[in-house]
Amino acid sequence: GEEAEVPVAKKRKNKQRVLLLSSRGVTHRMRHLMNDIEVLLPHVKKDSKLDSKSQLHLLPELADLHNCNNTLYFEARRHEDLYLWAAKMPNGPSIKMHVQNVHTMDELKMTGNCLKGSRGLLSFDKSFEDTEWGKLTKELFTHIFGVPSTARKAKPFVDHILTFSIVDQKIWFRNFQIIEKDPLAPNGPPQTTLVEIGPRFVLTPIRIFEGAFGGATVYSNPEFVTPAAVRTAIRKEQGKKYNIRKD
Amino acid sequence: DDVVPVQKEEINNEVALARIRENIQLDGSIPWTETLTVSYPHTIDVDVNDDLNRELAFYKQALHSANHAKQLAAKSYPNFPWTRPSDYFAEMVKSDVHMERIRQRLLDEKAGIKKSE
Repeated sequence: GEEAEVPVAKKRKNKQRVLLLSSRGVTHRMRHLMNDIEVLLPHVKKDSKLDSKSQLHLLPELADLHNCNNTLYFEARRHEDLYLWAAKMPNGPSIKMHVQNVHTMDELKMTGNCLKGSRGLLSFDKSFEDTEWGKLTKELFTHIFGVPSTARKAKPFVDHILTFSIVDQKIWFRNFQIIEKDPLAPNGPPQTTLVEIGPRFVLTPIRIFEGAFGGATVYSNPEFVTPAAVRTAIRKEQGKKYNIRKD
Repeated sequence: DDVVPVQKEEINNEVALARIRENIQLDGSIPWTETLTVSYPHTIDVDVNDDLNRELAFYKQALHSANHAKQLAAKSYPNFPWTRPSDYFAEMVKSDVHMERIRQRLLDEKAGIKKSE
């Protein structure tokens, strides 16, 4: 018999898994932010704290152990400053960012909610296309924050959207619930409205390394000032005021 | 250990950045429903310290993108499960207890406003 072989159109899948972990010394608030990210991203595998801050080179091995091709690593310094590394495993790149203006989902001001495990939409504003570092960041964030359809704990239906916007050279993160009904006309045509779920945070890119937690620097932000330097400058300014008053 | 920088080095190796991106880029044949990613066709041009207008701009971005994504989903995969049926119950990211605290706070706020009127 003649049986034509039907070519099986294999559907291509986006396979991503993200290792999430922190350094020692994270505060209560930083831990809450990590929990928020974990609950929103069902393809995240959380691991216990990394013992030593000088052991970043262990992270690719750890990611491999957990079958993860991405890593989000929160690094706490002086119990007040927070850095976030977003890295592609096993060969890089790695983006190191300073985390500020953190509001977690715990806060009662953000009244939105969404299914645990629903796949969030991702939105990037046009500024990401203006620079090479922006384009690379957008690509990597698509891998890390986009929930693959195959994630074991993923749920169907679209009920929230994560936005990334570059304002003032910083990346602003927001997460909104998508509501399909018009609350004023429940029987009318569905209309999309949004309610913020949280968390909120702002990321200042500091450096992009070619490798996984190391390698050549391919981008360095000249505008970035360390939070310690900012504090020193503020103290100096206050000292100056005092001296003027004294004189 | 953090020293106040005298002059910050500026590195922007665009050739390397582009090459790295091409190396990790997702296959173009992956259907849109695998990434659910949309590009907002505008930049956010607001005074970063103007909280109200900044947040409004983010809201506009999210709303535009959500509507755009809904169209993309319908186009690329006709039966893509978008709207959750009202009888579909599953665990939410914020618990019932937490949502009740949010509701109570809103009520308290309203009561506070009434009192001051």
